[in-house]
Amino acid sequence: MISRQSLIVARWEFLRFFKWKQQLVSYLLMLAVIAAIALWSFFTDESQQQYRIAVPPELQITNTEQFQFQRPGIALETQLTQMQSDGSWHAVISLQDGQLVVHTLTGKKWLQQLDEVLQKHYRHLAAEQMGLNATQLAALEQSVEIETRYLDQAYKGKDTPEKMIAIGALILLFVGLSTAFGQVLISITGEKQQRVTEQLYAIVTPQQWMDGKVLGHSFSALKAMLTSALVMLLSFTVVSLFAKKAVDLSWLDISVVLWLVPFALLGVVLCASFMGAIAASIDDPNNSGKSAVMMITWLPMILTFIVIDSPAGMGMTLLSFIPLTSFAAMPVKMAMVTVPWWQPLLSLLLLLATVYWMRRVAGRVFLRGMQMYGKEPSWGDIVRWALSNKAD
Amino acid sequence: MQLIVTAINKAYSSVQAVKNVSFHINSGEIFALLGPNGAGKSSIIRMLVGMTKPDSGSIMISYQEQHYDHVPRRLLGYLPEDRGLYPDKSIEKNLLYLAQLHGLSKSKALTEMEYWLDVFELTARRHDELKQLSKGNQQKVQLIAAVLHQPALVILDEPFSGLDPINQEKVVLFLQQLKAKGMTVILSAHQMAMVEKLADHMLLMAQGQVVLAGTLQQIQQQSQNQRQMKVGFSSEVNMAQLEQLDAIVSVQQLQARHYLLTLAEQAKVSDCLKLLLQYGELTQVEMQSADLHQLYLAAMARHKPEAAA
Repeated sequence: MISRQSLIVARWEFLRFFKWKQQLVSYLLMLAVIAAIALWSFFTDESQQQYRIAVPPELQITNTEQFQFQRPGIALETQLTQMQSDGSWHAVISLQDGQLVVHTLTGKKWLQQLDEVLQKHYRHLAAEQMGLNATQLAALEQSVEIETRYLDQAYKGKDTPEKMIAIGALILLFVGLSTAFGQVLISITGEKQQRVTEQLYAIVTPQQWMDGKVLGHSFSALKAMLTSALVMLLSFTVVSLFAKKAVDLSWLDISVVLWLVPFALLGVVLCASFMGAIAASIDDPNNSGKSAVMMITWLPMILTFIVIDSPAGMGMTLLSFIPLTSFAAMPVKMAMVTVPWWQPLLSLLLLLATVYWMRRVAGRVFLRGMQMYGKEPSWGDIVRWALSNKAD
Repeated sequence: MQLIVTAINKAYSSVQAVKNVSFHINSGEIFALLGPNGAGKSSIIRMLVGMTKPDSGSIMISYQEQHYDHVPRRLLGYLPEDRGLYPDKSIEKNLLYLAQLHGLSKSKALTEMEYWLDVFELTARRHDELKQLSKGNQQKVQLIAAVLHQPALVILDEPFSGLDPINQEKVVLFLQQLKAKGMTVILSAHQMAMVEKLADHMLLMAQGQVVLAGTLQQIQQQSQNQRQMKVGFSSEVNMAQLEQLDAIVSVQQLQARHYLLTLAEQAKVSDCLKLLLQYGELTQVEMQSADLHQLYLAAMARHKPEAAA
């Protein structure tokens, strides 16, 4: 199905956009930025520090790890002056007309934690006044555990690791298709503007040329997805290390990941073929509105994301069989509910047939578009060529 | 290889680009398509390459007892009118890519590339990006790209365009080399002096139609009634007035007060001289046979009233 010429074109296209030095530098930069953010968060984390708080003598609040409550026995004004002049306290608390007032120099993140400590203290105080003992108070503070039991045995649960994989797959598809979007547009319209097209036509058939383009840019998209996945994992590791947690990748279910691969591969090829067909119909990208249509390829991910919390619903079922959306929807559905074996297989076969048809359409649009010599085809022309069975 | 084109027609929307054109080309020949812009040369070339099909008529290419309705890609070396390569890639990368697409192995492609780069004195610049080269040198790389795979038929659309006279001569030598290697060459051009040196057969076209066809000698014979007279006047005369004379088809100023007149078929030389004397004293009168450039201009001039009618 794929000729030697198509593979040569694919290799050329892949390497044309594969600037490994720049990519390596950009990934290193990205990692450096993530590391810098993690470092910044670590060194500015106020919850790790201790704060001295001046309180009125009647406020019998217990010290915590973070807050040390002191009762200085001097006037409030003097306390405030000392706080401002030598930083004796991080905050001064006073009771004015039964109202608790926190005086501090400026807004700080730890004030929220202080607020929680004070709230807890007053809840305990109120409980004691009502004559509640410690057990009763603990019972009141205990939140009710509600367990949802799903009768559909196929549903794996709401916030499972599989859902994380599904969302990750959608994000990676976005990354891959965005890469393909830019490259296909630049590559095809650029070749037209650099006047290489007619030269190439004399060497390879329009179909071989389009197959090569689609394949080359699909590889680029897959490479972008793979490297993004690796960067995500690396970032996860870096963040875990800074948070002094063990790196835990047990949530990464390889069997689910293996199912994602063929769908992602065919989905990228399908979208690259569609983009190729649209790009081949554009004569001058600066004066054509057609390039925006290529963004339609993002729709499957958006539509899938909307119904991600109802993986067994009608919407997701429909999306998982329509070949134009199945590459995004079926893996998500499979990650979140158990589906019969024939469903992904049927979905994959339908997708495969659509990929075959779309690449033929792209080849035809390229040939017919080139024969128009500088005149951009209308949408009517494109639809007619797409539906035509005329030999290329 | 033999190529026979029979009564082809091609129209784009309301424009009849090619009208009833026929010709044939034998193996190892250099065949020139001549004519002004819009004459239909590129339309014919695109039909030969298979990019478009004739509305009527036929194209038959015979090669090793096989017959085709356009030149098969494996036999074709093509320099399109609308041409370019990858400007941000080196000469070597551009040429190797195209050669490999033609089916050449890397080592064979390298050997061929080195040979042609040497011919065009570009060896030292093989690693330069194409955008760093002059337009003339880029044109040379395009020519190499068309012949690297040693095709049986080379079609070159305007190979001389954009080249200075020195590089035009190099292209003449290049084409002679192709012929020596046994390749058949079809080229389109405006540069008559170059074509005259090279072409075995030629086809002069205007507005999609054949105006003259054959070898240079045959064309000269076809135009034998097309006499030309070089005249000198003692003072400057108005060219427009000369052109209005029925006996004169076209007027070309050669130098101050000297003109080349193409006479109408029926015009008598003596009558012409009488008419010319009305415009001033003649200092020179010389009859001459036309070269291709003059035949071309005369043919175009003859063709204009037909088209207008």
